[in-house]
Amino acid sequence: MTELFLAIGFGLVIASVLALSAVGLSLQFGITNYINFAYGDFMAVGAYIAWTLNTGPMHWNIWVSMIAGGVSVGILAVLLNRFLLAPFARKFQKLFYILIVTFGLSLVLLNLVSSVWGTEVQRYSISNESPFHVGPFLFTIDELVVVAIAIVAMLLIHFMLTRTRLGKSMRAMSDNSTLAMTSGIDTGRITTLTWFLSGLLAGIGGTVLGITQASITPGSGETFLFVIFAAVIVGGVGSIYGAMVGAVIVGLATEVAALFIDPSYKLDIAFAILILALLFRPNGLFARPGKA
Amino acid sequence: MSPLVYYLFTLAFFVFAYCILGWGLNLQFGEGGILNFAYIGFVAIGAYVTGALSLGKPQAGSGQTYIFGLSLPFPIGLILGGLAACVFALLVAVLTFRRLRTDYLAMVLISLSLVLYDVINNFVPLFNGADGLTNVPEPFADTLGLDPNTFVPFFAGVTLVIALIMWWLMSRITRSPLGRTLRATRDDPEAASALGKNVFRYQLTAMLIGSFYAGIGGGLIIEFAGAFNTSAWLPGETFLIFAAVIVGGVGNNKGMILGALIVPVLFTQLPKFIPDIPGHPGLILNIAAMAIGVLLMFVLWFRPQGVIPEKKRFSRLPAVLVGRRSGSTQQSAPLSTEDTL
Repeated sequence: MTELFLAIGFGLVIASVLALSAVGLSLQFGITNYINFAYGDFMAVGAYIAWTLNTGPMHWNIWVSMIAGGVSVGILAVLLNRFLLAPFARKFQKLFYILIVTFGLSLVLLNLVSSVWGTEVQRYSISNESPFHVGPFLFTIDELVVVAIAIVAMLLIHFMLTRTRLGKSMRAMSDNSTLAMTSGIDTGRITTLTWFLSGLLAGIGGTVLGITQASITPGSGETFLFVIFAAVIVGGVGSIYGAMVGAVIVGLATEVAALFIDPSYKLDIAFAILILALLFRPNGLFARPGKA
Repeated sequence: MSPLVYYLFTLAFFVFAYCILGWGLNLQFGEGGILNFAYIGFVAIGAYVTGALSLGKPQAGSGQTYIFGLSLPFPIGLILGGLAACVFALLVAVLTFRRLRTDYLAMVLISLSLVLYDVINNFVPLFNGADGLTNVPEPFADTLGLDPNTFVPFFAGVTLVIALIMWWLMSRITRSPLGRTLRATRDDPEAASALGKNVFRYQLTAMLIGSFYAGIGGGLIIEFAGAFNTSAWLPGETFLIFAAVIVGGVGNNKGMILGALIVPVLFTQLPKFIPDIPGHPGLILNIAAMAIGVLLMFVLWFRPQGVIPEKKRFSRLPAVLVGRRSGSTQQSAPLSTEDTL
């Protein structure tokens, strides 16, 4: 029983990492209508920028470094969209081209990260407190902070989408971008802001992934990408709230499954869930008509 | 034999092998419009199955564990490896093709290749885990008494023959009604299905044949190198083959040769021989990989049809009958034919 609670506890931590990352991917998909296959590498860039700030001469606090890493990836995402992705999306109507470009971008970023930061496993400098009990669960302070960050971020995104002009415009564009444009929404500005948010969440997601897994490698974001895809597909692609629920389902399932199977396959459980979701609810739990 | 000649034969082998891989992917992606981001997974299945079938029973002391171990002679193991990739493709296609549009399918396929990688890497009894298969017997080396010096040119020749057969087959396929329908489903799936074409069945066929090519290519690679492990098929390798197809010209079997020459050979095999910059191990390879990504984006932007574009294929019927406006085609119309390949 204790083991089950431990697994659920860590499942919640993974779910928080997933939720941050999956929402970032979903937001951008909703606006631009294509998957960013370089998203895992955006996460890696954020994780490494935070690592440099955290362990380099500046010795910034890990959470400050995380925000700085997120903002940097946000800016990178805006620039990449402005000078690479948007021109390709405009020039080619077929989905193929843009998907291959993001796939190629992932190769470029992965190798860029390996060239700049090397391929050895790195760690953040964070104090190693012993975990303590919260009810039946066992958490470290850092894990609790990660969960808190995810909850706050999800609430903020919820309020942004429902209460602010920006969020409403984003939802309008996601539903019908032409109609949104004719209603006077500055779609270019919204797209730029969405890419920034997506990059910000990728950077934060990559850093918290490095914190919770106690290791950072150039490929860690890319390997985590299929877990994010699982969360996104389970929830329904393009649905923000679906991505949040999918993150919790996939996060809990992978950790609890690790009790019953060899833990080295635990992330592959995410893929099994993805296939089951496709078989029984191909449009996701929160399907949006016309998106699948 | 001088090392240079030996090396040139090695490069020649890779050109032929990558041509086979490229033709398979071209049928799936170029002709059929299936964005198979898991392509390298099918190559790996072909390689592992071919290897495990050609090897003898695992020896207790060797530290290798794998399934099969049937010591099958050369072409049989290879062909079964190709068929194994087909079976896997069938499974994947039946599960996913009907349900998903292009980008979702690409997402599922890329996830699939990562999971397959993870499982083969961790599950040692299958194909010896991360260490992979080694000491795969070199085909005909015993019967013809070949040493490593003569085996390389010999097997490059065998691969050339196989590649020529596969080219001939592929050009038959792309010229056949199957190829024509595939291009139609790629360009406009709705229109094709409105004309009564079963899009799923055609895409399934492309997927299966393409995966067979992947399996054969993978099988040849393991027979040539004698070993295969997970470092040989990192997910980025799929991108390499995509880049080769796109640079050579999508939907163009002849252009593939140029693509195989430029991308896998010029950009990946050659840089392996540039000495490392001191203190930066692997930097050259990283830069080469980035260069491939950038090259692909440039080709897509400036020459989206590749260096050698796909030939427009015209009907044999006079223009009046197919309702083509005069002037919309070049001088060769209205009686241009499609058997120019």
